[in-house]
Amino acid sequence: MKRALELKINGDTHDVLVSPNHTLLEVLREKLGLMGTKRGCDLGSCGACTVLIDGEACLSCLILAVDAAGREILTIEGLAEGGDLHPLQRAFVEKGAVQCGFCTPGMILTAEAILGEEKCPTEEVIRKKMAGNLCRCTGYKKIVEAVISVSEEAGREV
Amino acid sequence: MRLPKFEYFEPKEIKEAVGILQDQPLARILAGGTDLLVNMKHRVESPPVIVNIKRIQGLDFIREENGDVRIGALTTLKRIYTDPMIMEKLPGLAESASSVGSYHHQVMGTLAGNICQQNRCKYFNQSRMWRSAKSLCFKAGGEICHVVNKKGICYSSYCGDLAPVFLVMNAKIVLIGKAGPREISMENLFLGNGKDPLNLIPGEMLKEITIPSESVKGVCCYEKLANRESIDFPILGTAFWASVQNREYRVAFTAVDQKPLRGQRIESFLSGNDLTEEILDQACDLADKVAKPVKTSIYSPSYKRKMMGRQFRSAADRATGRSIS
Repeated sequence: MKRALELKINGDTHDVLVSPNHTLLEVLREKLGLMGTKRGCDLGSCGACTVLIDGEACLSCLILAVDAAGREILTIEGLAEGGDLHPLQRAFVEKGAVQCGFCTPGMILTAEAILGEEKCPTEEVIRKKMAGNLCRCTGYKKIVEAVISVSEEAGREV
Repeated sequence: MRLPKFEYFEPKEIKEAVGILQDQPLARILAGGTDLLVNMKHRVESPPVIVNIKRIQGLDFIREENGDVRIGALTTLKRIYTDPMIMEKLPGLAESASSVGSYHHQVMGTLAGNICQQNRCKYFNQSRMWRSAKSLCFKAGGEICHVVNKKGICYSSYCGDLAPVFLVMNAKIVLIGKAGPREISMENLFLGNGKDPLNLIPGEMLKEITIPSESVKGVCCYEKLANRESIDFPILGTAFWASVQNREYRVAFTAVDQKPLRGQRIESFLSGNDLTEEILDQACDLADKVAKPVKTSIYSPSYKRKMMGRQFRSAADRATGRSIS
């Protein structure tokens, strides 16, 4: 039986009617048109579907939508504020960390969670924590450079 | 991949959850979801009822009481390896929790989910299309275990990273069911039955795990061998615990049998001895006799047996402060 849910996504509240077997990924893409969250493997192995739930990087393909009710969900659409790109988005563009772009939303949101925990993580920490986000284009070097550049910027501001 | 349909419950209290589990014998418990939902998408599990226990308060904790360490069932793996007390006093547990899957799995996955995960096998953990090329294996509802080509038995491997660490620390598990709580040793949780690996009475769920103070005082290390560090289950995992002062040692392996195994022959050989190079070399030769792995993954049993000795040596060297040989 379908359930009426209130999902808090990118600061807005959305009323949706979902079956318990719908994942958060399915609801984001199919009911709310938030296509920035990508469906990759759909089995929790590639990280393309990463969203932030209460600030933590989670795989939306492995979370039931009913389970996400009442929690703060952030998708890539909600990251930029006031029409300006978020520093991570800008760094990905400037450092050439985007090629086909399919993994980019998941990469950026995982990086946002990592930098939320620790302002200036080491390259080793960044690589370890982003290892669950797969990219088949860039070879990861530019992606890691982009995240490091944002953390260095944040470090200078402290 | 859509999940199959199911009836969904979200109990707020343990008593309510236990009641639902009692009334619905085919129900499965949902915690982190990183094991169960993948299996459901592959249609190797299609439970008619899901009981989401994440809304139950008071199951997410790490406490130290009279030297014992207690960890609640819903404590996430990330919380375990970032907890300052765990990092300081139980680094082996922190190592094993931080080696599970990817960062995302560690954020989502829970202690109870990792311990109570389903056994794995290359014939079972596959998509429905892949599996349709062969008759169903015994674990998936067929008659034959394709690993050994035998009827009525399942040789799938238990592949949890945390269980061997809890085994070497002689951890106790508190289960809760209709009759109230009961405490069993970690060793007794595992039946060694690939199809139905856990020793749980219908309606029971894991509530917490306690590590006794005498184990907290020892040194523990965990070694993991996996295809890729980021997402994979262990090809082999080895936990080693030492109380150098008392000359007491424990070792356990994962991913080599239907259940995680204590290496009792190694333990009795080492017991009472100082861990000299010579003693450790002899103990390594015993490691491959602890288990008889079968080909449940792409790695050969002989490779796994060889690596058991290497991993044991590496974990023992680290635990005793030697450089890795």
